[in-house]
Amino acid sequence: MKFTVPIGPQHPALKEPISLRMTLEGEVIRDADIRLGYNHRGLEKLAESRTYLQNIYLTERICGICSHSHSSCFVQAAEQLLEVEPPRRGVYLRYLVSELERVHSHLLWLGVAGHEAGFDSFFMYTWRDREVVMDILERISGNRVHYAINTLGGVRRDIDEIQRQHILESLAVLRARSEYYFKIGANEPTFVARLAGVGYLSKQQAIALCAVGPTARASDVARDVRKDDPYGMYAEVPFEVCTAQSCDVLGRTVVRIKELMQCYNIIEFLLKNLPEGPVVVRSPRRAKPGEAIGRYEAPRGENIHYLKANGTDKPERLKVRAPTLANYAATIEMLKSGFIADIPLIFAAIDPCICCAERVVTLVNGRSGEETVVPLSRLRAMARERFQKAPVQKDAEWPL
Amino acid sequence: MNDAQIMERIKTLLGERVGEIVNPSPRRIFLNVEYPNLTAALAVLKDSLGFTYLATITGLDLGESFEILYHLANEYTNLNVRTQIPKASPHLPSVCGVIPGAILYERELQDMFGIVVDGIPDPRRLVLPDDWPDGQYPLRKDWKFERPEEKIPGGKTS
Repeated sequence: MKFTVPIGPQHPALKEPISLRMTLEGEVIRDADIRLGYNHRGLEKLAESRTYLQNIYLTERICGICSHSHSSCFVQAAEQLLEVEPPRRGVYLRYLVSELERVHSHLLWLGVAGHEAGFDSFFMYTWRDREVVMDILERISGNRVHYAINTLGGVRRDIDEIQRQHILESLAVLRARSEYYFKIGANEPTFVARLAGVGYLSKQQAIALCAVGPTARASDVARDVRKDDPYGMYAEVPFEVCTAQSCDVLGRTVVRIKELMQCYNIIEFLLKNLPEGPVVVRSPRRAKPGEAIGRYEAPRGENIHYLKANGTDKPERLKVRAPTLANYAATIEMLKSGFIADIPLIFAAIDPCICCAERVVTLVNGRSGEETVVPLSRLRAMARERFQKAPVQKDAEWPL
Repeated sequence: MNDAQIMERIKTLLGERVGEIVNPSPRRIFLNVEYPNLTAALAVLKDSLGFTYLATITGLDLGESFEILYHLANEYTNLNVRTQIPKASPHLPSVCGVIPGAILYERELQDMFGIVVDGIPDPRRLVLPDDWPDGQYPLRKDWKFERPEEKIPGGKTS
């Protein structure tokens, strides 16, 4: 006997609104379906009525975790259209912030993975250490989440020698802590037993379904935009693309911890080789007609922005594809033949960021194994019906 | 392989099916293909040049027609396959048979532009709500959002 169980859009295991419909046979998931649209903000349409400069701050608000990823990706495309080359120091600082953001995002994910696996002390440890990198970011930009460091033609803030020393000192702490997490994450028997073999995604499927980021890399697909399409100064930075062969949640954990180590190396390299000079150059406000594509390796995978200019100070079209959207097709595959208790773990393992993936509202009503979809208009009518029967005073005078 | 070599390979592989091919900046190739040849061209690119990864599909409203861009990538470069379809009969062949990961992008394209993707395995709505009126496609240039006038129930009328 098969059941369909709706999970979400509001559910304690999911922190953001998404509707998952699971077809179950006993406790085993046979099929899964994803419904999006609970958080659609129409950003692509909005961007067409904003100037390039305003759009930097708009794209930064696509996501609350990888905010810098979206603004950098947009700026890369916009700078190409505006024909402005940022100074080298500006480029180094921009991607210094992006590597720090990756550290903060991966530490956050490790905590969530620990929490979903029932290992809450791991969650508390990693989130405590995440504060170290949050402090660095606050010291550089003045902000903890939306750094607002990017601008057309460079970055808005420079760093001094004291800040540089502070980052290097904090990095030593983070490095020591991450080595300890690697030891736990890859060796702690109960943790490993919980993660190993859960959410299997074969290499062939990862390629066919166009998975990105650590999800693809844990299935042994060495796909990293920083290596394949080196933007900024990544061509001169030595680093390795981290992969795992286990194709499960354990692999995704290992990949992320290894990436943390690579991030520390990159940050160290950037700080030790920081060029002298200005951080920003003046940029024109209008772009000639043309098109540009920004590709950026966000903590969750490849981020792509397509930008088309029409000769004014506003873009003709901005297309945003966040990494989470690219990983949904793979997630459905991972959920199949898994257990219902693995849903939060598998879903968390792609490090989903729903607000990223969506840029409007429906409700799912599941009763007695049967599933009905109730459109908002019907729900509103139901509420009105119910309200009219209730003993409330009609045609009340508005008090103000 | 560099961009010039890849462009040369594309020309020999696709023959007359390939339209204009340009390389405006490093690691960005734009290729024009007529829409009836689209799936065949993508299959060739996938099998012979390793363009297995479809980053996303972008739709553009050009007034009289729609332009669709398929952003592909392999480990060397980023290839953008461009095709145009008339707005009067917006039909596009589905590429899910070649690249299964394209499904979500094609569903988004249907929602936002009202393009009919022929042969799509799952034609349901993806991002727009179920009670969204038919024939309203937000990313078309002639679509304008008008905020409905706010009415306070029981409030005074101005």
